[in-house]
Amino acid sequence: MKVYFFVGKGGVGKTTSAAAFSMLLASRGLRTLIVSLDPAHNLGDVFGIPLGEKPKQIVENLWGIEVDFDRAVQQHLKNLCDRIKDAYAYLRVLNLDRYIDTLRHAPGVEEYAALEKVVEFIKRSKDIDALVFDTPPTGLTVRMLALPFVNEVWLEKLLELRRAILERRKAIAKILKQELVAEIGGEKVKLPTEEEEDPVSKELRKMLNETREVINVLRNPSVTSIGLILNPETLPVLEAKRALETFRKLGLPTKFVIVNKVLRLSGSTPPELEARLEEQRKALEMIENEFRGLRIVYVPLLAREPRGIDALKEYAKHIEDLLEV
Amino acid sequence: MNISLHPIRKLFEVLSEMFRGRAVEYVSVELRELENVFALVLLGSFVGFPSPPTPIALRLLPYLAKELLVMQRISERLDDMLAEMAGIFEVT
Repeated sequence: MKVYFFVGKGGVGKTTSAAAFSMLLASRGLRTLIVSLDPAHNLGDVFGIPLGEKPKQIVENLWGIEVDFDRAVQQHLKNLCDRIKDAYAYLRVLNLDRYIDTLRHAPGVEEYAALEKVVEFIKRSKDIDALVFDTPPTGLTVRMLALPFVNEVWLEKLLELRRAILERRKAIAKILKQELVAEIGGEKVKLPTEEEEDPVSKELRKMLNETREVINVLRNPSVTSIGLILNPETLPVLEAKRALETFRKLGLPTKFVIVNKVLRLSGSTPPELEARLEEQRKALEMIENEFRGLRIVYVPLLAREPRGIDALKEYAKHIEDLLEV
Repeated sequence: MNISLHPIRKLFEVLSEMFRGRAVEYVSVELRELENVFALVLLGSFVGFPSPPTPIALRLLPYLAKELLVMQRISERLDDMLAEMAGIFEVT
């Protein structure tokens, strides 16, 4: 299976390019699922077909989903709360669910919920050949994709620390020739000295394996492709450049750039557009320099907003080259 | 013969126990400090310390009874820490 992420600043045309690209894939006979993770959905509007949480067929070989982001966040928090409840049965009395609305504003919650959804789709879509994600604006997407790497660092360090603790416990038990015991809640509990018998180490190891599985998928260039969508203007270019730097640092395969809404005029240039065209020329130059090595495709500013299947087919002609990445 | 050797054996046992006690003293302090650090890293958000992403701490929570006790012990014995360290390193 191939996984594509369309990343870019709000309003540059991520959804339109993701939709057109997914149609290209489907037209080549690949069973394709396009998923909108953007809380401000407009994937359904772009196709001209209302979409929801369940996959809906758009054309042959193409299905679409709009993830209810608020629900995904609520679900993520509910899963967390259920875990706490499992560990602390008495919390049921406190009715933790009442605090979910407050918890959703805690740092990192949105990124976690989005990542949970991405992983769920990758695991679930076994009968799909290509999975296309229309992502939330750059900031959230970059943080979401960086999350497994942040987790990996934490888990590795915690495991290292835990190992050091167990080593010392083992040394003390060996010298004293007796088991180490701690009193917890009036009860004497044997302290583990080996990684295999330490539940904390086991859980850490399990989480590390799960995290590395996600990282392996995200880093695998034969599975994952990240595309940057931008307009020929300075700010979107700078934002895409920063995103590219982060993805490169994380080892994520960024493969293509779609320069959307390029103003092309036939005939003489009206004087009021001269400054605009000069700005565009500079931005295009910057794009060539900053994204050297990536496949760059250009989509002209179209007379009409590309909405509906036929308009998207027209749009897709400009990005056909991306099928080779 | 056996009877006459008994006090010597006893003496060796006492000496060996003493040396063993002395040997684990430093490792014990090291162990306790590592356990403190582990508890602080995982549960430090209680005192405003940056903590790992919530799901990591939460998945470990059911197994952290000892670490919670460690945190409690640190806060209870905060005043004694310096004196204790001075004792261990024989600073008078």
